[in-house]
Amino acid sequence: MKGFRWFVFFLGRSVSQRWMRMVIAALSVTLAVSVIVGMAGLSLGIREKLGDALKAYGANIIVSSVDGRNMPAEAWSAVRSLPSVASVLPQLYGQIRIQDVPVELIGTDMDTVRSQGWRMKGEWPSSPGQVAVGSSLGEVLGVGAGDPLELMGSTGVETFTVTGFFERGSDADRGLMVGLKDAGRLLAMPDQLSALLVRSRGEIAEAVPEISRSYAGISVKGLRQIAQAETSLLAKIQLLMALVTVVVVGACVISVGSTMGATVLERREEIGLMKAIGGTRRSVSLFYLSEAGTIGLLGGLLGWPLGFISAQAVSRGAFGSYISVPHILGVAGLVLGLVIAVLAGHFPVRDAMKPRAAEILRGE
Amino acid sequence: MYVTFIKISDLEKHYASAMALRGVNLEIAAQEWVSIVGASGSGKSTLLNIVGGLDVPSKGCVRMNGTDLCGLSEDALARFRRQNIGYIFQQSHLVPYLSATENVMLAQYFHSLPDEKEAEEALVRVGLGHRLHHRPSQLSGGEQQRVCIARALINSPKLLLADEPTGNLDRENTRVVLELLKKIHEAEHFTIILVTHDPFVADWASRLVKMEDGRVVSDTRNR
Repeated sequence: MKGFRWFVFFLGRSVSQRWMRMVIAALSVTLAVSVIVGMAGLSLGIREKLGDALKAYGANIIVSSVDGRNMPAEAWSAVRSLPSVASVLPQLYGQIRIQDVPVELIGTDMDTVRSQGWRMKGEWPSSPGQVAVGSSLGEVLGVGAGDPLELMGSTGVETFTVTGFFERGSDADRGLMVGLKDAGRLLAMPDQLSALLVRSRGEIAEAVPEISRSYAGISVKGLRQIAQAETSLLAKIQLLMALVTVVVVGACVISVGSTMGATVLERREEIGLMKAIGGTRRSVSLFYLSEAGTIGLLGGLLGWPLGFISAQAVSRGAFGSYISVPHILGVAGLVLGLVIAVLAGHFPVRDAMKPRAAEILRGE
Repeated sequence: MYVTFIKISDLEKHYASAMALRGVNLEIAAQEWVSIVGASGSGKSTLLNIVGGLDVPSKGCVRMNGTDLCGLSEDALARFRRQNIGYIFQQSHLVPYLSATENVMLAQYFHSLPDEKEAEEALVRVGLGHRLHHRPSQLSGGEQQRVCIARALINSPKLLLADEPTGNLDRENTRVVLELLKKIHEAEHFTIILVTHDPFVADWASRLVKMEDGRVVSDTRNR
């Protein structure tokens, strides 16, 4: 047998002798790698979602009522005529019921919506009594384009016709969109608006004061402010995720370190023998660190897909859609598993190499 | 002609609570078979470990075939040992999950390259041709020691150190092991230093060194 083949053979024999313990240690690496890959994937994905949301709106200014209530629909007319405004999307938010289950409803101007370029399977409503369904809600309801859908609003149950399914990659995908008049009637909020999503023609800083002056009682915020607030929140969430990751990795290092510590303790005699028959500290250490590496690779191999799946599950649950996790995270997960395990194994192996062969074989 | 192979000069070894060697001086010729005898605690195993580079002296020096062992680092001692010294322990220290052949190949691995055929031939030579693929738990005490002999000699060392190699064996197996050692020693002419407390075992050597309380108290030719 060539030297390397014998090394691999010996390693395989050694690992197979204590496979149960190795698997348990590998599971802790799996957990750590899945948490790291999952958190990293989510962290990148959240940024992407935020970017998509801003892009999807096309808006960079949001207008709402100062007192937090709805504002009159005439605010829309006032704002859209301003020279600093490129486009305005009016929105009325509320809740109706479908089969006694509450569902979010957005009333909006369909002509303006059509120009936003949002993903739509089917058609946007073009007349009263028509509804566009969010893609996530559509899957749950199991309806198709052209199907009737009963909506229970303030006026009782009304039957709408489904025209299509939209996907915005946000919570809105779990709701419905109808025309403003239909929304006002269903929500008992006629001629009212919850918000205006505005796209400025030039700089936000120039548009905001002009819009503020155009109608009394409105609050005007550049979406950058909102984005900054969200970014700040995002940073806090990411910090929390990083802290959780550090704790999990720390626990993993302790677990693998304990396993390796127990392993080298059990095999002191073997270590002493190898040193006695001519093994240098480096060559003997390599055997045991390779066992740690095997634990790490196994854990990384299992941990990466688990992390990927959990990131998608969380994203689906939180945002109603999937995120794209870069494949490089898979390779990173594998490497990380290896590094964590070898690092954890390094200290007990190093300590085991310290005594001379005679001390070990004497049983000291 | 007497050629000094090993020269031990003023060797001392202190531990925290005791002094194991108190100034040992000894010269051993090439191809000699020396038995070191003494009661438990006389320092004989400590002397063997220092000669074999498994331990270091507190003072003094061991020179082997022109190489000063006391100046070598632990890893340099390991490299010297794998090229020049074979070791037989009282506890066989066989790796339990390797077969007899694989245990011998382990010694080859650290020396050069493992060779399964060579390892099997070494085991056949010690009378274990029918036990090549048995694990240590499947071997008797005497058979385990024979595997140790094969392992110790696989790399053709110039020096064989044996620390109570028959300490755990009955008289019959003791005789078998010693006869084997004698036969191989006569064929291959390496130097043997064998530590024992058993006069029967000591008698197989051509020279008897008696130790007491960390000192050499007598040094006689056996025949």
